[in-house]
Amino acid sequence: MLDIPSLEQRWLKYKIKRSLPYLLTVVGTIIVVITLNYFLNPDKVSIPLTIKKEVNQSKEGSKTSIHDEAMVLEPSMQFIQSIPVTAPDITTPEVNTPAKPLPVTPKKILPVQKNIPSPLPIIKNVPNTIPTPPMPKLIQSNPNSIKRDSATFNIHEIEDRFTNNSNPHLGLYIARYHYDNGNYSEAYNYALKTNAINNTIEESWLIFTKSLIKLGKTDQAKKTLQLYISQSDSEEAKNLLNSLNKEGTK
Amino acid sequence: MEHSLFSKPRDLFLDIVNPRDYVQIDSVSHMYQNLKTSVQKPLKMILLYGKPGTGKSMLLHKLHHDLSKHQKVFMIDIPIIDESDFLRVLAQKIYSYVNREAITLTDFLELASAVNYAQTPIVLLDEAQLYSTLLMEKIRLISDARALKFVITLHKTQDEDIIAKEHFQTRIWESIELKNASPEELKVYIQKKLLKANCFDVANMFNDKNIQLISKLTRGNYRDANKLMFSLFSLYAWYEEKYPSKIKYNALKTKWIEMAAIHTGLIRA
Repeated sequence: MLDIPSLEQRWLKYKIKRSLPYLLTVVGTIIVVITLNYFLNPDKVSIPLTIKKEVNQSKEGSKTSIHDEAMVLEPSMQFIQSIPVTAPDITTPEVNTPAKPLPVTPKKILPVQKNIPSPLPIIKNVPNTIPTPPMPKLIQSNPNSIKRDSATFNIHEIEDRFTNNSNPHLGLYIARYHYDNGNYSEAYNYALKTNAINNTIEESWLIFTKSLIKLGKTDQAKKTLQLYISQSDSEEAKNLLNSLNKEGTK
Repeated sequence: MEHSLFSKPRDLFLDIVNPRDYVQIDSVSHMYQNLKTSVQKPLKMILLYGKPGTGKSMLLHKLHHDLSKHQKVFMIDIPIIDESDFLRVLAQKIYSYVNREAITLTDFLELASAVNYAQTPIVLLDEAQLYSTLLMEKIRLISDARALKFVITLHKTQDEDIIAKEHFQTRIWESIELKNASPEELKVYIQKKLLKANCFDVANMFNDKNIQLISKLTRGNYRDANKLMFSLFSLYAWYEEKYPSKIKYNALKTKWIEMAAIHTGLIRA
């Protein structure tokens, strides 16, 4: 008479015993592949190491350590440093604009925002709030980790990001950048796109109309301002419209 | 459990050598015809050899079954090791000479010459490797005297090649080697055996994958195949009684074949 339960247990042991070499081979192969990958692609591993080093340095070093860490982890936002200190007359309305929209920005931007509350005040306060002298030293000491930061500011990168996430604040920033650099047609385009995404940003409307003025389309600028004033009752817009009207009468 | 679908197939594979259970397989059939033809020739000694479980005993029993209808045939399936007993038993069975005392080779040859048969009587010796050299020498002398024809079977082992021994080398006129069954032959063997007993449903359960596994486990050994099938159908009968829903009738379960192999010792677990 067969003892089936015992036979089933023996069969299970047999199957485990039989499949063990195959399992060990598979696990061994995976380990070898990972090890080879580790040695053949050392670059991937070196990046976190440099970050660690930098963090250690920053802990030992000056007060700028928090800035350094943030820069390494979020290098793409370092472009803020390149904003010219001599801000144009747009800065006046910017000071009044609330920082409310900032929380909408993606998480990646948050660490930078801890140090710099809003892109708008930065333009004014860059020399005061951010101690710039230590920064170049760090950049020189470890060029690999902050290579992207020390490189020349690339507006196209931000434009790509704007294309991808349609963040109106990025759009506003790009429009402002182009306006400041005298690229009025691009400033017009980005302000228009920003308005299409969010039509409540006053600065965007102002850059839009100012760009129109610079492009010689004063009438269209006036119409736009009138339209915007009718909807928002913006003082800045009124002032700009008045100044336009005065220039027109002259 | 006795009324189980699998109890009848199980009993078919009991390890009993019965010529009525002989299953015709092409290659074995061909060899059997050769053997029958050789027996009719004036040969003194015919050797049937092969590895254990290749069907030598079954073939010898079949030969005995078929020849005994026409001529004097005596089969010794359990070797008689004692020499005097061997001759005494032969004298009694072939020449009906009853003597409780041991007889010598000379007496035996005199007895053989005194009795005339139309055809030379045939003696079938199974497991001949168990006979002593001295007794084999006497068998040779008897066959040389044309008193008897001998058909002997022996195992072909790697350790000792008995066929190479002198008395076999010089006296054997015909030798037939039986080989292990191929997967196809094993399939034919199992299915023919089942179909012969009208076990059609069970015969249909064997697919090629099952046969490959059975062939791998038994290495084409018919005796091992019988043992495996017996265990397998015992196992099926148990499941049919306890857990009938576990049985699939379109194929044999690999797991259960392996379990049966563990039970029969074909797999060491």
